[in-house]
Amino acid sequence: MDFELTDEQELIRKNMREFADKYVEPIAAKIDEDSRHPAEVFEKLAEGGWMGMPIPTEYGGAGSDYLTYIVAIEELSRSCASTGFTVSIHTGITCMLINLFGTEEQKKRFLIPLAKGQHLGAFVLTEPGAGTDIMAATSTAVADGNDYVINGKKTFTSNGPTGDTYVVFAWTDKAAGRMGMSAFIVPKGTTGMKAGEHFKKMGLRSSQTSEMIFKECRVPKENRLGQEGMGLHMAMTGFDHGRIGIAAQSVGILQAALDESIRYSKDRVQFGVPISRHQAIAWMIADMATDLQAARFLTYHAAWQKDQKRPFSKQASMAKLFAAEKAMHHTIKAVQIQGGYGYCKGAKVERLMRDAKITEIYEGTSEAQRMVISGNVLKAS
Amino acid sequence: MPTIVTCFKWVVDEAYVRRGTSGHLDFTSVDYKISNYDRNAIEEAVRLREAHKGSVIALTVGVPKCAKGVKDALSRGPDQAYFVADPSFGSLDASQTAAILAEVVRSRIKSYHLILCGEGSSDLYARQVGPRLAQRLEIPCVSSVQKLSIEGDRLVVERRADAELETIEVIMPALVTVLPEINTPRIPGVKDTLMASKKPVVIIKKEELSQVPEGRLQTIDFTASIMERRCERFGTEPAEITRFVDALHRKGLIK
Repeated sequence: MDFELTDEQELIRKNMREFADKYVEPIAAKIDEDSRHPAEVFEKLAEGGWMGMPIPTEYGGAGSDYLTYIVAIEELSRSCASTGFTVSIHTGITCMLINLFGTEEQKKRFLIPLAKGQHLGAFVLTEPGAGTDIMAATSTAVADGNDYVINGKKTFTSNGPTGDTYVVFAWTDKAAGRMGMSAFIVPKGTTGMKAGEHFKKMGLRSSQTSEMIFKECRVPKENRLGQEGMGLHMAMTGFDHGRIGIAAQSVGILQAALDESIRYSKDRVQFGVPISRHQAIAWMIADMATDLQAARFLTYHAAWQKDQKRPFSKQASMAKLFAAEKAMHHTIKAVQIQGGYGYCKGAKVERLMRDAKITEIYEGTSEAQRMVISGNVLKAS
Repeated sequence: MPTIVTCFKWVVDEAYVRRGTSGHLDFTSVDYKISNYDRNAIEEAVRLREAHKGSVIALTVGVPKCAKGVKDALSRGPDQAYFVADPSFGSLDASQTAAILAEVVRSRIKSYHLILCGEGSSDLYARQVGPRLAQRLEIPCVSSVQKLSIEGDRLVVERRADAELETIEVIMPALVTVLPEINTPRIPGVKDTLMASKKPVVIIKKEELSQVPEGRLQTIDFTASIMERRCERFGTEPAEITRFVDALHRKGLIK
């Protein structure tokens, strides 16, 4: 069993670290405060080939394996969870879905500019009445001549306000139940689709999140992704891929929390010594380092399973569940270690704690992950 | 269409060196990197190729695990690499390194227009390999270069010499050692990193070289330097200013 990353993976990590230190770290606090999407950073990410890493080179990507991409997401998220997440949703879900289920024509038209980072992707599934309960969705796509007409309201769409290419899910045949939803590629500017209310969030504030309103939105049949009725299956596949990205994002947050905790505890003197010498603090850091290691290996293993072309749903869920819960738990501890200073704006741990919370919620709540994992574990007998 | 050789060293990344309380240095969790100024040399070589076409050869001497450094170098743009590898090459001194590099350049690479080196390595900063290599190859050497261009068969360089800037024209083939002011090394793109291992690497073993000269320097000890700060305070009254000026005199900072 080889636990080493390859030379290429180590170099990718180093290069992303350098990139993040240079372009992301210096602005991370400000883009959080201003709730701003740093387009200039995404331009540079695109130039470096960071926006479509696991997509084949003939479709504009770098043709990397999934683990290499995951290492990059982790390292980017260490500087800014929002930026890491935006890349993850774009690459791990939107790009991957078109890569896996798109026609040659769709890949040429949509995937190439997405993988090159010229366009930003979005994944449009959740509705006001349908979060974990996807089947409670009400958006419809009715066939009409050469088109489908989409009507409905979606919410919590990441990259909603800033996206160029949207993968949208709607019922084509509600009566068919789990085989009744379909997916459509809807480019920005399509009449009848617009971003609704922008959300002001507790954390991940640089990531742009909004409603998406569909009113008589006409898309040509060629834009349907995959077969009619495959929507739910594709959404689940999208989540399997995206969850490993979220796990990596959480690992990045955890690493940042640990770095901050070590730095602060060696500097801060109370009772005559750096607080790292007090067992209560040292033990918090021990737990943080241990859970970080575990989260990292669960995440890498899930990516490895995918690269080995083995089933990886369960592993992706486990990694996401564990890494997210630990990120939340330990960012709270990181603030605790920094006391009053950690509670103030300007402290990095303050942002880390606010950012960590969403990882327990999106791309399948921790409750949904437990349903996936228990379903998987209990059936294997 | 110039052929440019760019030499680099795979060194300990000093950011990972830890210091024990007694001053001893702990290298157990170190990572490695291409020496900082060598990165500038590689970048400059690649920029020159982008302007003039031709080819860039990366060249290094080290222990076998420096193979990762070879991939790193190739990901930054060179077309191929020569890697002289042996487990005993972990602590070569500058005269040995220069001898090995000179032999590879003379007997394997043979034809080139320019050799670029960093001014000095991040770990030792002896600044000797470049000039020693040039002397062995009997080609001109210009050090401390912060700007460089190729004009026909000549090199025009800007050299920083203490308080002055010299502009020098050099007939190629020549060797130049560069300062970090010369450029900002690119962060390799993802594809460049993934494709690096597909580029040709010529691995040369110690046995294939003629006699490697004996090292003439031996490192006896390696401890952390401690900066003693006196932290003396002075006030702003006239008597205090006098005391301040006296202190500067005593320290030899003013005459």
